[in-house]
Amino acid sequence: MRIIDILRDANSNLWRSKIRSILTILAIFIGSFTIILNTAINAGVNKFLDQQIENMGGDGYLEMMPTEAYESAMSMISTSEPREYTDEDDTISYYIKDDQIEAIEKIDGIKSFDVLYPVSVDYFTSDKTDKRYKADSFNLIVPGINIDMLTGETPDTSEDAEYEIALTESMAKALGFETADDAVGQTIKIAVPNAVKCHSMPRNECVAIVEAKVSGVQAPGILSIAGSRANLALWNRIYDINYDGAPEISKPRPPQAVADVDPEKITEIKDKLKEIGLSAMSVDDEVGMFKTFFDAILIVLNIFGGIALAAAAIGIINTLFMSVQERTSEIGLDKALGMSSAKVFFSFSAEAIMLGFWGSLLGIIMSVIAGSVINVLAHATFLKDFPTFNLVVFDPKSMLAIVGIIMLIAFLAGTLPARKAAKKNPIDSLRYE
Amino acid sequence: MKDLKSLLVAKDLKKSYGKHQNVFNALKGINLEIKEGESVAIIGKSGSGKSTLMHLLALLDAPTSGAVFLEEQNTSKFKQKKLNHLRNKDFGFVFQSFFMNANDTVLNNVILPLKIAGVRPKERRCRAMEALKIVELEDKAKNKAKDLSGGQKQRVCIARAIVNEPKVIFADEPTGNLDSATGAKIEELLFNLNKEKGITLIIVTHDDDLAKKCERRINLVDGQIKENTK
Repeated sequence: MRIIDILRDANSNLWRSKIRSILTILAIFIGSFTIILNTAINAGVNKFLDQQIENMGGDGYLEMMPTEAYESAMSMISTSEPREYTDEDDTISYYIKDDQIEAIEKIDGIKSFDVLYPVSVDYFTSDKTDKRYKADSFNLIVPGINIDMLTGETPDTSEDAEYEIALTESMAKALGFETADDAVGQTIKIAVPNAVKCHSMPRNECVAIVEAKVSGVQAPGILSIAGSRANLALWNRIYDINYDGAPEISKPRPPQAVADVDPEKITEIKDKLKEIGLSAMSVDDEVGMFKTFFDAILIVLNIFGGIALAAAAIGIINTLFMSVQERTSEIGLDKALGMSSAKVFFSFSAEAIMLGFWGSLLGIIMSVIAGSVINVLAHATFLKDFPTFNLVVFDPKSMLAIVGIIMLIAFLAGTLPARKAAKKNPIDSLRYE
Repeated sequence: MKDLKSLLVAKDLKKSYGKHQNVFNALKGINLEIKEGESVAIIGKSGSGKSTLMHLLALLDAPTSGAVFLEEQNTSKFKQKKLNHLRNKDFGFVFQSFFMNANDTVLNNVILPLKIAGVRPKERRCRAMEALKIVELEDKAKNKAKDLSGGQKQRVCIARAIVNEPKVIFADEPTGNLDSATGAKIEELLFNLNKEKGITLIIVTHDDDLAKKCERRINLVDGQIKENTK
């Protein structure tokens, strides 16, 4: 018997008991749909992250903070034992100490290094608008990270540069610039409070206005979520205004530092930082943390998909056992007319494989439809700023692989009933009826 | 008739079922010879072992002891693959209860042995139509098998049996489910095939009228040949 005939017969045999086959295919569909859609979301998010990381550069970017701070941030519930107080301990929260800064400077392979002092800013405004906008998200441009610019240039990061800022697109619009291009080269006003004056004076009187040049507007991306970014000169100026006249003890200490290091030596440098009590994270570490979290969710969803497939496999076994039973005399006739046991086995296995094929094909079709709907909905809502990012990305290769795996599972499930069919004795089967 | 070649020879065929105290001896040493082109009726009461004998001669089952020789070759030495091929190519089967795929077309039912043999679609359709022509059912080729009358069904089964141009047709109570008028037509068809195409006919029956039309009758009683008459 030719293979094409076996496959064709298997397919037409499936539709002899339509409802039974359709229900089994539906069970396979539920599993395959879940897994295909999960894989596509995983691919979409990973592609997005990879793209963003590539844009950032940041191979040599390290973010460091005191190990104690890092550990308390990592552990939701503190399980550590009470620790005895020493005179070196500080009552203020963890910060990077002067001797640590000195030690960092001695580490080989660090190209540049900045201690990040926290600053506070009240609002942004410009000559183009009467409105004032809260500067909720405001950050420093750190060395080693490329800011993806929509237009204009990245602010000059040298210490003695002009005061420059890279606005987000939405902030540029809010400040009265019609397009992102219009904002480039313009000046905006930043209201900076002073810690001492603001104790005794009304808020609108204790702020100083700092003018900064808009060097460019950031393209949407994971970095632009963190808001408009100042260069180091502007940041230092704001810090100086924030604590002008304040006693040294009340000035905030730097909770973290950033460095641009030689990417080849990154592990070594991380180890050395650990020795002086600092935990360092690279971009990969940070993205890795997010990926791990995201993967965990997907694994749970894939387990559900797997359970659905396991149930579907039992469904395949069940439905095929029923057809072996129903078609006993037919099997007997086939064998009497010279069909080998192997071919009988294969014809029932082919039916199982067909069930798997139709189930996973349906899974592909429905998940592609669902994926397109999800993408449209996502772009209309939480992904408004990322027109090029598709949450669900279908990769033909991985879809084919999933179909292959499901067909293999179906085949394995089908071996039990197929073996029963193959073992049937033609005489007994022909007596049956 | 004397120089006819020997087709099937049974040598001391025994077949028993069950084990130990429950042994049932269905055949107790059968010796017979069937020559090419003969028509032979195997008759006997139910339980006499006539079906078992047919199954052994048709190589559907293996004897407990003894052997069946096909064209002077000992079939007990044949591998399963060769047995499958022989049944497909050299044997045709007609059963009392037809055994057709009721939901399939008449043509596809006739095609089945060719499909199993791996014949290409075009050729097998052509050969199946020829076979249907012989049983005068070519106009029903596209009909569903279940829509046919009993007599028509049995004619389709005969078409299926001859589609691969076999040397022997084994017919197990071919008229058992038919009324006498349609039964007579089926008989006529079978004997015509025997005479015109020289196909050996082995008919299992308890219908004496049918048996009398055969050249030879083998009467089985309790698993032994009581009579072997021409």
